Amino acid sequence: MFLAAVGLFFALPQLAMARFAFQNVPVVHLDLSTLGTGWSVARLGEALAEPGLWEAARTSAVLATLAVLLNLVLLLPLAVLAEVRAPWLRPVLTGVTLLPWVVPPIALVVGVAATFRPLAPWFLSSPLSLVPFYALWAMPFTYRALDAGLRAVGARTLVEAARSLGASWPTTFRRVVAPATSASVVAACGLTAALVLGEFAFASLLLKDTLPTYLVVYQRSAPQAGMALALAVMVLTALALGGVVHLLRRRGLGVTTSGI
Amino acid sequence: MASIEMSGVRKEFGATVALADLHLTVRAGELVCLLGPSGCGKTTALRLLAGFERPDAGRILVDGGDVTAVPPRRRGFGMVFQEYSLFPTMTARANIEFGLRVRRAGARERAATVDRLLEVTRLEPHADKYPHQMSGGQKQRVALARAIATQPRLLLLDEPLSALDAQVREHLRDEIRRLQQEVGVTTVLVTHDQHEAMAIADRVAVLRDGVVEQVDAPRTLYARPATPFVAEFVGTTNRLPARVDGGRWHVLGTPVEVVGPDPTGTDAPRTAVAVVRPEQVGVSRAVVAGAVGGTVVGMSFLGALTRVTLELPVEGRVVADLLGEAADALAVGAAVSVSVRPGAGAVVLR
Repeated sequence: MFLAAVGLFFALPQLAMARFAFQNVPVVHLDLSTLGTGWSVARLGEALAEPGLWEAARTSAVLATLAVLLNLVLLLPLAVLAEVRAPWLRPVLTGVTLLPWVVPPIALVVGVAATFRPLAPWFLSSPLSLVPFYALWAMPFTYRALDAGLRAVGARTLVEAARSLGASWPTTFRRVVAPATSASVVAACGLTAALVLGEFAFASLLLKDTLPTYLVVYQRSAPQAGMALALAVMVLTALALGGVVHLLRRRGLGVTTSGI
Repeated sequence: MASIEMSGVRKEFGATVALADLHLTVRAGELVCLLGPSGCGKTTALRLLAGFERPDAGRILVDGGDVTAVPPRRRGFGMVFQEYSLFPTMTARANIEFGLRVRRAGARERAATVDRLLEVTRLEPHADKYPHQMSGGQKQRVALARAIATQPRLLLLDEPLSALDAQVREHLRDEIRRLQQEVGVTTVLVTHDQHEAMAIADRVAVLRDGVVEQVDAPRTLYARPATPFVAEFVGTTNRLPARVDGGRWHVLGTPVEVVGPDPTGTDAPRTAVAVVRPEQVGVSRAVVAGAVGGTVVGMSFLGALTRVTLELPVEGRVVADLLGEAADALAVGAAVSVSVRPGAGAVVLR
């Protein structure tokens, strides 16, 4: 019963969005006789034909990829270290990665802008200036996904097993830890990418054209097409993540997000 | 085959002393079990041997060479972990092959070794399965094969059977012993299961609070435990009052042979607590001179033996293990004579 209520809580807005985006029947004329009429994907076609969409999507994809890479480079070695050699580091990392969420985006942007504008104005003019913000913003999710994955596979004993068999640290990392934790790395990447693809505040405050800012602007001029596009992005993201998780599960690598 | 010597080994974790002053020698080709309750330091001792921890004091010698500061990968030991620790993205074959691969063994040698180990461990049908496709017993056999594939100088087993169900555990226990003897590798096995230790080991080291209480062959450990702790930890025991009478210790009215310091000197106490095994307790329907009277309050059938629970007026509850015929004559509520059987081994005083 509770689950059904929760399901409805999430499903109803989506269904309402879908109806608004894909059915050409004003809500005041909606009844049982008109419920099945007027459905069309033409609005989505219009939205996809806009050249600005692809430019914004490309920018967001680049930003998401770079933010994912930056977070992995920063956090994966630290998460492995905390699991394998220095358990005392885990609470420190848990706390530190949460810090960016204590500072509101507006304060973060204003602070960073005030610092960089006189020192390195080129940094703020480039869309890539969003990468560190996104990496910081996604850190709690990335770290927790990695940490949960490392614990789930028992990374510490895997490392000890590999070391006792004569493997060096690089070999242990490359041949044992990295493949065994690929599921959690994918989970971390997915969460980071999803966050970046939906992030509006930083991009808007720094006046950058990303997919979310484009969607907001486009929706003002074409509400139905904008809604159709937002839904399509959401469905595609969910399908992509689901597909990767399914592939990993077939290889016996369960994706765990406990603790997130 | 290598001989091991741990001398004066101490390890602390913060304020906790895991190993106080460990002295242990393992002879070449021997299988020694480290047995003890949780927190006694047995796993710490194994991890120190493996090189995953460094001792705060003391030395670890292998064939006379000091390996105390040698990293795990250079020790040439094989280790089997409680939770299997198979590499999840590798098949059984690749797992077994891993150690050979990192040692840059040739392809032909690798294939021959892996094939032989798959055969010895009866894993051929599962060679291409991933760990998540195998049962617990199969996974632990892969872990065992992986550990011995590199022909280690020492094989370390950290509670390798504790995650398995009873039937598989017994089967794999025998298989570990068979493999160990076939390969002839010196082995140290950690367990908290006394039956496992007694069944598999050449010698058992009983640990308590970070020190070795006794190291002996299983039979000696059982028959002549050096301390009351060992007596109580290895096998079931009764604690009964003992007193000196005519210069000899008596338990349940019977003169007994004792193990440990014999306090029958001038300044010695005249009473003590004796630790007596159930099979040392004699039960008779007939009145026996000097024996203590009691009542049967419970009987449990254990196969070849029957465990009889007795209520004695002073000593309280006592359990006795009797062979079928002796137990057949008894029933719950029966009045019996209870004594310590002469010639049933020594009792331990505390």
